[in-house]
Amino acid sequence: MDRFQRKHHDPHAHVIHAPHSRLMSHVPLKFVWNKVSGHGRKSPNAGLNLVSFIDFLMVTVIFLLMSFSASGEMTVDKNVKLPKAENVEDIIDAPVVAVNGNQILVDGTLAGSTRSIEELGRMQKIDELFALLKNKRELWKQLQPNKPFPGVCILQVDQNVPALVVKSVFQTAAFAGYPNVSFMVGKIPSASPQ
Amino acid sequence: MGGVDVGEGGGKKRATNSDINMIPFIDLLFVTIAFLLITAVWTTNSRLNADAQVPGPPDPNKELTPQTPEKVLNLHIGDNEFSLVWKSGATVVSEIKVPKNPVEIGGDTKIVRYPDLAKKIEEEWKTQGGHRDPTDRKLDQCILFSDNRTPFKEIVAVLDALYSPKREMKFADGSSKKLPVFNMTFSVR
Repeated sequence: MDRFQRKHHDPHAHVIHAPHSRLMSHVPLKFVWNKVSGHGRKSPNAGLNLVSFIDFLMVTVIFLLMSFSASGEMTVDKNVKLPKAENVEDIIDAPVVAVNGNQILVDGTLAGSTRSIEELGRMQKIDELFALLKNKRELWKQLQPNKPFPGVCILQVDQNVPALVVKSVFQTAAFAGYPNVSFMVGKIPSASPQ
Repeated sequence: MGGVDVGEGGGKKRATNSDINMIPFIDLLFVTIAFLLITAVWTTNSRLNADAQVPGPPDPNKELTPQTPEKVLNLHIGDNEFSLVWKSGATVVSEIKVPKNPVEIGGDTKIVRYPDLAKKIEEEWKTQGGHRDPTDRKLDQCILFSDNRTPFKEIVAVLDALYSPKREMKFADGSSKKLPVFNMTFSVR
């Protein structure tokens, strides 16, 4: 047990040592050290090299930090099953109109019924949706009077909703001052490199 | 635990070796990993562009000159085929039919694609498209005609085929980007 022998201080000795096991190396009592090191037999304590473990944790943290999005992703209504497409663009920040089999919602607020449009059987302007989108546009203009209004909104439409409802919502959004409409879709990886 | 050995202090001086306690450091890393894993978003959504073609107010400082209407692609979704009709105003310039050959991809949930339609649209744009120069910042227009009962996933499959041909577009700052050659709107009847 040379670890308890007196070391002579050499000011010129190398100050940085090769990495080795660190656990239990600082136990200062000889009888404790003898106990934990197995009294000459094979020690029941295995030295754990923490360097590779910390390296792994650091790489995981860096990867997760790089893929972290502080702005958060746009939430999808739980009743909406989005269709998938390949030739898509990145999502932008804009008012979201969710259309499922029963309801139309603007940022979570009820703005119309899908069933009533289907029952009527023809394209129509949806009054509640129009009023909500118009209010949103006016609020945006009040908050940013010097900027041109982008007129962008995102339609989050369930994949089984009929075209009649999609066209009615599309037309109402355009009437309310949102002519640049985007359809939210799931992304399928491109087969050929762009 | 971790530390740097600089030899013993010697005499009664305070030891110059000091161990850094690694436990709080590892704890911090674990907490950071847990937080990042919980807040991570594993599914990302994207968007397909459309335009309602709403004309803006006329510029009072500009004199209005009559212009020949641009060629517009009219895409009709039929039961068994697609029609690609190029129109200039009310005049039909060309018309072709593309049979519906859906290709299903994906595992549990089948996704319908129309690769034949995408190929035909690209060929049509190469012969008839009006905005092909990289410095031209306008896109060719496509009007989509569909039955009122057509499910939205079918429309998205057609839009995906429509947006598959892309062209280089140069911007004022010298940068360039590959964009779909068409801008789409719905027909209103």
